[in-house]
Amino acid sequence: MTYAELQVTTNYGFLRGASHPGELATGAKALGLAAIGIADRNTLAGVVRAWSKGREIGQTVFTGAQLDFADGAPSVLCYPTDREAWGRLTRLLTVGQRRALKGECHLTAGDLTAHGEGQLILVVPPTRLDKTFETALMRLAGEFEGRAWLVASRPYGARDLERLHELDVLARRAGTPMIATNDVLYHGPERRPLQDLLTCIREKCPITEAGLRLEANAERHLKSPAEMARLFAAWPDAITQTEQVARRIGFDLGQLKYEYPDEPVPPGKTAMQHLTDLAWAGAKWRYPEGATEKVEATLRHELGLIEELNYPNYFLTVHDIVAWARGQGILCQGRGSAANSVVCFCLGVTSVDPTKPHHDLLFARFISRERDEPPDIDVDFEHDRRELVMQYVYERYGRERAAICATVIHYRPRSAIRDVGKALGLTEDVTAVLANTVWGNWGDGLPDDHVRQAGLDPDSPAIRRATTLATELLGFPRHLSQHVGGFVLTRRRLDETVPIGNAAMKDRTFLEWDKDDIDALGLMKVDILALGMLTAIKKSMDLLGIADMADIPEDDAGVYTMLSSADSVGVFQVESRAQMSMLPRMKPRRFYDLVIEVAIVRPGPIQGDMVHPYLRRREGLEPVHFPSPAPEHGPADELEAVLGKTLGVPLFQEQAMRLAIEAAKFTPEEANGLRRAMATFRHYGDVGVYGEKFVGGMVARGYDPAFAQRCFRQIEGFGSYGFPESHAVSFAKLVYVSAWIKHHRPDVFCVALLNSQPMGFYQPAQLVRDAREHGVEVRAPDVMLSEWDCALEAAPVGSLEAAASDLRPVRLGLRQIRGLKRIEAERLVAARDMGARTLHDLAARAALSRQSLELLAEADALRSLNMDRRAGLWAVKGMAPEARAEIEAPLLSLMGPPVEGAIRLPAMPLPAHVAEDYRTTSLSLKAHPCAFFRTLLTDMGAVTAARLRDLKDGRRVAIGGLVLIRQRPGTAKGVVFVTLEDETGSANAVVWRDVFLANRRSVMASRFLVVHGRLQRAGEVIHVVAERFTDLSGRLFELKREGAAFAPPPRSPVPSLTRSRDFH
Amino acid sequence: MALVAAERGVRRLTAVDDLAAGLGLYPGQKAADAGALAPGLITDEAAEDADRSALIQLGDWCARFSPAVAEDPPDGLFLDITGVAHLWGGEAALVEDLLDRLGKNGLRARAGVAGTPGASWALAHFGYDRTLVPTEGEAAALAPLPVASLRLTPAIAEQIARLGLVSVGQLGALPRAAITRRFGEEVVRRLDQALGLACEALTFRRPPSPWLARLTFAEPISAPEDLARVTADIAVALCARLESEGQGARRFELAFHRLDGQAPRRAIGLSLPAREAGRIARLFLPRLETVDPGFGIEVVTLTAHEVEPCLAQQQRLDEPLASEAALAPLVDHLSNRLGAGCVWRAEALPSHVPERAVARRPPLSKPAGGAWDPRKPRPLRLFRRPEPIDAVAPAPDDPPVFFRWRGGPHRIRRAEGPERIAEEWWRRPLEDADPAKVRDYYRVEDEAGARFWVFRAGPYTGAGHARWWLHGLFG
Repeated sequence: MTYAELQVTTNYGFLRGASHPGELATGAKALGLAAIGIADRNTLAGVVRAWSKGREIGQTVFTGAQLDFADGAPSVLCYPTDREAWGRLTRLLTVGQRRALKGECHLTAGDLTAHGEGQLILVVPPTRLDKTFETALMRLAGEFEGRAWLVASRPYGARDLERLHELDVLARRAGTPMIATNDVLYHGPERRPLQDLLTCIREKCPITEAGLRLEANAERHLKSPAEMARLFAAWPDAITQTEQVARRIGFDLGQLKYEYPDEPVPPGKTAMQHLTDLAWAGAKWRYPEGATEKVEATLRHELGLIEELNYPNYFLTVHDIVAWARGQGILCQGRGSAANSVVCFCLGVTSVDPTKPHHDLLFARFISRERDEPPDIDVDFEHDRRELVMQYVYERYGRERAAICATVIHYRPRSAIRDVGKALGLTEDVTAVLANTVWGNWGDGLPDDHVRQAGLDPDSPAIRRATTLATELLGFPRHLSQHVGGFVLTRRRLDETVPIGNAAMKDRTFLEWDKDDIDALGLMKVDILALGMLTAIKKSMDLLGIADMADIPEDDAGVYTMLSSADSVGVFQVESRAQMSMLPRMKPRRFYDLVIEVAIVRPGPIQGDMVHPYLRRREGLEPVHFPSPAPEHGPADELEAVLGKTLGVPLFQEQAMRLAIEAAKFTPEEANGLRRAMATFRHYGDVGVYGEKFVGGMVARGYDPAFAQRCFRQIEGFGSYGFPESHAVSFAKLVYVSAWIKHHRPDVFCVALLNSQPMGFYQPAQLVRDAREHGVEVRAPDVMLSEWDCALEAAPVGSLEAAASDLRPVRLGLRQIRGLKRIEAERLVAARDMGARTLHDLAARAALSRQSLELLAEADALRSLNMDRRAGLWAVKGMAPEARAEIEAPLLSLMGPPVEGAIRLPAMPLPAHVAEDYRTTSLSLKAHPCAFFRTLLTDMGAVTAARLRDLKDGRRVAIGGLVLIRQRPGTAKGVVFVTLEDETGSANAVVWRDVFLANRRSVMASRFLVVHGRLQRAGEVIHVVAERFTDLSGRLFELKREGAAFAPPPRSPVPSLTRSRDFH
Repeated sequence: MALVAAERGVRRLTAVDDLAAGLGLYPGQKAADAGALAPGLITDEAAEDADRSALIQLGDWCARFSPAVAEDPPDGLFLDITGVAHLWGGEAALVEDLLDRLGKNGLRARAGVAGTPGASWALAHFGYDRTLVPTEGEAAALAPLPVASLRLTPAIAEQIARLGLVSVGQLGALPRAAITRRFGEEVVRRLDQALGLACEALTFRRPPSPWLARLTFAEPISAPEDLARVTADIAVALCARLESEGQGARRFELAFHRLDGQAPRRAIGLSLPAREAGRIARLFLPRLETVDPGFGIEVVTLTAHEVEPCLAQQQRLDEPLASEAALAPLVDHLSNRLGAGCVWRAEALPSHVPERAVARRPPLSKPAGGAWDPRKPRPLRLFRRPEPIDAVAPAPDDPPVFFRWRGGPHRIRRAEGPERIAEEWWRRPLEDADPAKVRDYYRVEDEAGARFWVFRAGPYTGAGHARWWLHGLFG
């Protein structure tokens, strides 16, 4: 008995199917189905996953779609029989999706007719079999003669058999054979509760009110051929027909052979010739004194490999995009497996010269003959000009052939608990509390003690139900969104390969498949990404007159000394607290040390417990030792080649993969599967399979089991934050370049970073403070002196500062003023340049809105007009109506502002000024808020951050300040890191789990905090290990107090003076 | 304890009790934040309408102090005590007495007395409690109070404070024109209102008249036909009033005030609001027989309850009565005879589980829109509890061939099914949810032609110990 289930909905038929595509493929295999056909409603989003899982386990998976029509025509399941028919199906869906809003698809019966050639259609009857349906069926039977079937199912309704009989009669009359399906929504009946919930989420109703919108029973799961035969015992032909259909589907997703775009090749040349020419020309540009023997040899080798694997078009396409950006003066930097090649260096795709000593990078490792996959290059562009590059790509390749791939937005703990809670009818308060209990990852369900802490009973059925089902829902796709910049490019029309739909953003489209799908099918993809630091570096280079990052001198000892002392605020990647505490231990001295620095503070190495062994070996506290297999299994030094550069400790994703191949003897397919699984560990249970294989393989060959275990834990850690060496190298370059600028020109660095906000780890207040600590004079924003952007001003001639250094003062730009519109600020600057010299004049000529004028006054930006913020605000409020009138009647402006008697407003005290500065510009140059509380802090026994350096390890201390950053890394076992800032500097506190749990509220919610604890000193890294806390957030309000007899009760007792950055 | 309400999609506290305030919670805080800070917080939905009507009630109660009471939502009352304070021995004593009585009723209140509503508001909200301002003393009393005490919007109050003008005194010292230019006329108007330089009209409340008609007789009556006649008369009187105000009522209560001071009452209920005097009088008729007139009745009152708007509709001559309106008299008649619970309508509810799919509704209530699905036949008579039967069924999914119910054997001739209905898993702990907890329903007909609705609990196992139940009868 054979049976193919041809009506299967996956969870990519959003909020309908309740099983992952992979689960369905696996389930079909286990039941012994001849094939399954994936047919989600008007989408092909899930087919690649099902298909690749099927390929892996040897289960035939047909890919099609259920077409639902907007004009009332009956739904059909559509299966293309060959490549051309597939192209028609994807075009059909593209047409429907482009017509509708994002996430919807409007099809008409006519569309199916137009794209019907080569399709097999299975007509799904509606619940009521009426004349309209019969007519429609007859029409389809005529149009698709010999290619149409009528679907019949057994949902265990009251009159199933009666209905089947009617369908049978209808099928005979129309000449469309009846075909059996089970209209599958999930792989096993135990998924019914989840499927019911999905229905509730889709229908936006609580389950108690969902009523008949839910299924009556749990029968819509995959059933065995024998069971299906029993259910259709009276109509055996309906079962046989499934085989007929299966036999006629001749299309497999594997046939989507990729073809590269060929635009960039000039006529008369082959692609390879063109690439070779470009590469050699680039070599002349990169090595003006002539390339070395080694460079030329490597270049020849790489070009040979590219020719052999037929990838020239790929490199040409990337080059084309990068060259265009370069022509526009847009800074970019490539990274990824193929990026760190001499070819890419010569093509200008990257600024890292892989032939430099210590770089030691080999292209061959990144493109391999065995792995028949296209090379992978991601290119980062300046974040505020990336859009231009994207528009160029669209223009060059056309929207039919270039599109951004999708990102599947999966259910994460918060969204899962929110939706599940709502669907189960929990009150919003309870759901909110549950959702807020989740900090970061939530692997195997919500821990009971978290629930209990939130004041709920984890054993109550309602809560238990919510947490269990939410955990089951984790990793389900929620909707598709546009990928940040992953472009797929093809030679033939892209919509003949995959459906393209509208994005939420106007004039944006994206394909239905995500990066993993694209990878699995081997289509060409270039990631065009935005990176804030590139914007900052570009701005710095413009100020300094540097043309290319490669021109920045390398191996500058001063830069490494600066980094070694953790002086890295604002520097790319290494500015986080964790990186800062690692820097003094790593003491980077050369470029490759930065590569390791970037990669080491990551979940992978931390989870794999590889960080400390590496540091010990680096500091010479432990001998460098390479684990080796038993002698009979291979040479003892087989890992030296893999782990040599990292002193025998695996740190990079590539090394983990190489370990799997060299030490655990994975076959290339297995290794590939492992690599793929790494990206999706979180969602599937594949870990166990590979874990046993990996650890088992290594142990069998005589490796230390503990070492093997650690290696695998690291692979797990790579799971969602994989960090390969090939990316680390490109990032390390940016680390070096940004550190170099900071070291030599902190003034330039500060300006560039401020003008590139928002980006990076720190708020403008910290960047400004850091610049001031490096001797840069920073001046407040001012209507008469500031541009929109922050800028360098001329140092006063002959002043001491000018003599002492070549640093120039920084004038903060009007962009620092929160809420001020750029367009108005620019009009203001223009009016000033035209000679406006009074507030009234400025307002009138620049046509400033009342709101902007008030913002300027409140930001205290009228000082050069001899007005402090109160006087300014008074003046602005008094003049706004006239200024507006003058726009309409310019003559009036000649008469000047109306004369008004002088008013003496109460002077604003300094603390209030500081509070207002923070409110309007997020920073204050006048004083630090903590300074006003110093007496209080001293009374509480708190020392300044600066004093910490002089105190002994282990001493009891207290430290008070504004909370800058809270972090609770998933890898740190519940430890929370809090960074405080006072008027002398910043200090870090470590809060162990127990202390955190006991002081949850202070740690999580405070803005102004005193931490009491013990000083811990490891080299130059100083922490306060917290024991208890005093939350002073309420006292911040005192800054604004002006000594009135009756202060009104504040609506919010905690003023939003600062915002901490919280990373969960 | 705190009350919460949704404000533009965010749930915020609207009021907190002392304990919650002590924990640092405050009105305006996000409910989620409050919950995180005080896990034991008890919350309830704020009921703005109920608050409003409570305030109105309180205002009516305050009428004992002054006939002129105006509400100041959400939580204030204005009392115009001009010329009434002497009844309490002065303003201070009046305020004492008022607050004292409120306090005894568990209501905490603050009061201020001044020559203008604005000044008294400011003092009650921002001043020392129970401040009495002497005549013309408003300016001095208000000077130290914050600007917000002028009943300004928070945004404007904040802007003024930002200029360093913290108190009313500072603001008042500025030229009026300068203030108006900057903050609009509202500020100056409020300032002048508080200081008595501009007048302010309050909307005072007067108690509503109840729906009551009353007939007094020169000679006490006691004859049954007299009772019937006065019932008809009084119904006409009250219904005329209802009609003139476009109202109708669902309940009427008739009270016969006897000479001996007792007052037997009779009431009728209606399924639709009505004001037809004749019909209402007729519904009272059967009940009048039980009224004992004693030594005679001197006053009759008729009150209407559950009064709601009821627009007059003109019936076209050629139009049949709307079925609802036509049924109403019959339903009223039956209900008033048989008892309210005995007349009902079966309504289809959206649920797969049969016993949850039907509900009893008042006979003339609006149908909720549920309809009976012809593809899912349901018995005319559904048992409240299914009754166990002994049944024999040969194979999976096949109906029973024979069953015994209440001792009687039934051999089955025709059958349809199974219809598989799973239980509603969300009504029990998730651990107990099991795909096997289903009922397989069959519609069967025995040799006598009787039709039954039977089901097997759980799927067919082949072991022969399946439990069968009878759940209903068709016809």
